[in-house]
Amino acid sequence: MKKRVLSIMAMGLILVPFLFASVSAKTLKIGSMSPLTGPYASDGTDIKNGVWTAIKVFEEAGGMPGYDKIEFFPQDTACDPRQAVAAANKLLNLEVVGVVGAYCSSSTIPASEVLDEESIPMITPASTHQDVTDRGLKYMFRMCGRDDDQAPAAAKFIKESLGAKTIFLVDDKTTYSQGLADGVRIAAEKLGIKVLGHEHVNQGDKDFSAILTMAKRENADVFYMSLQGFSPASMMTLQAKRLGLKSQIVTQDAVFQPKFMEVAKDAAEGVYLTYGFTDPSTPEYKAFEDRYVPKYGAIAAYATYAFDGATSLLMAIKAAGSTDPAKIKAELMKQDYQGVAKRIKFAANGDSGSSYIAFKVVDGKFVPYWEPMNGLIK
Amino acid sequence: MEYFIQQLINGITLGGMYALIALGYTMVYGVIQLINFAHGEFFAAGGYVGAIALGYFSGLGYMETHPVICLTASFAMAMAYCAYLAVGVEKIAYKPLRKESRLAALLSALGMSIFLSNGLMLTQGVYDAVYPSELFQGRFDFGMVTISYLQIMIISLTACLLVGLNLLVFKTKVGMAMRATAQDKTMSALVAIGSNRIISLTFAIGAGLACAAGIMYGLYYGSVRYDMGFVPGIKAFAAAVLGGIGNITGAMIGGLIIGMVEIFGAGYLSSEYKDVFAFIILIAVLYFKPNGIMGENIDDTRV
Repeated sequence: MKKRVLSIMAMGLILVPFLFASVSAKTLKIGSMSPLTGPYASDGTDIKNGVWTAIKVFEEAGGMPGYDKIEFFPQDTACDPRQAVAAANKLLNLEVVGVVGAYCSSSTIPASEVLDEESIPMITPASTHQDVTDRGLKYMFRMCGRDDDQAPAAAKFIKESLGAKTIFLVDDKTTYSQGLADGVRIAAEKLGIKVLGHEHVNQGDKDFSAILTMAKRENADVFYMSLQGFSPASMMTLQAKRLGLKSQIVTQDAVFQPKFMEVAKDAAEGVYLTYGFTDPSTPEYKAFEDRYVPKYGAIAAYATYAFDGATSLLMAIKAAGSTDPAKIKAELMKQDYQGVAKRIKFAANGDSGSSYIAFKVVDGKFVPYWEPMNGLIK
Repeated sequence: MEYFIQQLINGITLGGMYALIALGYTMVYGVIQLINFAHGEFFAAGGYVGAIALGYFSGLGYMETHPVICLTASFAMAMAYCAYLAVGVEKIAYKPLRKESRLAALLSALGMSIFLSNGLMLTQGVYDAVYPSELFQGRFDFGMVTISYLQIMIISLTACLLVGLNLLVFKTKVGMAMRATAQDKTMSALVAIGSNRIISLTFAIGAGLACAAGIMYGLYYGSVRYDMGFVPGIKAFAAAVLGGIGNITGAMIGGLIIGMVEIFGAGYLSSEYKDVFAFIILIAVLYFKPNGIMGENIDDTRV
């Protein structure tokens, strides 16, 4: 009997270090959701890299009090609503305290409902569709702008700067691309621009010759290309150029990717697109650039927003001193600071404001070209 | 009218590529009655080898000085690679199952398709591989009708390959051996035709043609991706069935019809449902002619 007690005690002693280990090694879990495979993999990887950089920077600046390390769980949504919901559930099982993502609006919307039910804050760096924050979810935040701001800005640019009288639109029927194309069409009609056609293609199409021939026949002043991602956009631009389409191509934020010029090359020259304004001369941006570029290459569309989103989330958790969602939300709402992409201050619905300007592709680079308030940018 | 001609040119370009892929399905079916679902992956692999070879030449700067030589070399290398790949796939995945039920070989083909497509993803990455698109960027304008150098090149190369294949199958001894094997393996073996060799050759030729289509596809659309074999593979299969599976001329005609219907459907009706039109035509034709347009059992033309 005595022996048995002794041996149990001995075994207990062996377990002690494990016990302490599990108490002391406390980790904070952060998730991200973005397409890491499929046609939008490069944008999704930028988001992952942006969040990862934010975590590294935060840890180097002292980390999270009360936690030994921050663990990061990037999930692949493949821009597929079903996979996005599965990814959201997986993150819930991993017990993350906050999520940065997703990319496609059509993924963000269903995934956010899963996360919101469990009161997990979600900050999207890239989904611009208005419904993302218009559904009254408590824990949905957005770093980028809204399409119902982007569409009027684009229409204003087309009317005022390009002086267009006619427009031909094409979208690929995703929540994002179709919503935006509809918005631009309505805004353009209000400004007195005649809509000569609004056509749809399918996601994953590569041959656009039929629709481009149609656009060529209509010969509108502006060809508005609303596609989900740079990959189909570069193909369409290339084919449009080859077919001799004379209309001026205008596109949107999803195409803000250096790879667009890599694939479309010369055909990309002179294409206009609308994207949120980022001041590259702020010290915050420069610090991010120094950190990000050597490791991952040129800064593309959503890396900055993903970085800001993750930073906001981590700062809010730190300020709240707990992982209680209500407290994190309260701290997020208090935030007002200069981020990498823009000044961050959330509105009641979770939006952080839009600042759309027009860029032009010049010599293989996106150059700021026009802004709604003052017109051309020197 | 100009609009119609422009769409016609677009349709021929696309249809020609489908026809090249469809031939592989139909030839293999003719010889061993197998639907080779891995055939679309040869097309994708060809696109990648082409991208790698052309990228290499372009990096060396030969592309500007000797574009024709670079292009020929890339086509030759990629086609040879795909031919070997197809022969290897046949030896590993289909030959051991030749005596088993046809269903076993069909499942093996589906498995091979997934294996090859994932292999391509793991070795080449999920990103698009870019083609050097400085090639053939010019175009001719006839009023509203535009035909690009690239389209001319694709259409003429496709025509050459189709004529060459016809000559090979119908005018040479090898072609005769292929036709004999397709008709009756036992009987052709009795007259000293090695059926294994002929089957390998059929796979090699089919994959070579698909590979050529893959490179043209890459040149035409500017980039290739690991999963690009799936949709054109399905459409080319539909084209082969439409023309009468096992029939070479049928596959060519079927490919052109599918390509044209897709383009005209998109151009005149609705670009959202262009894939639907292609398959509606397929169903309509099979309803009235279950063996396809050319029929599958015309012994002379079957391979």
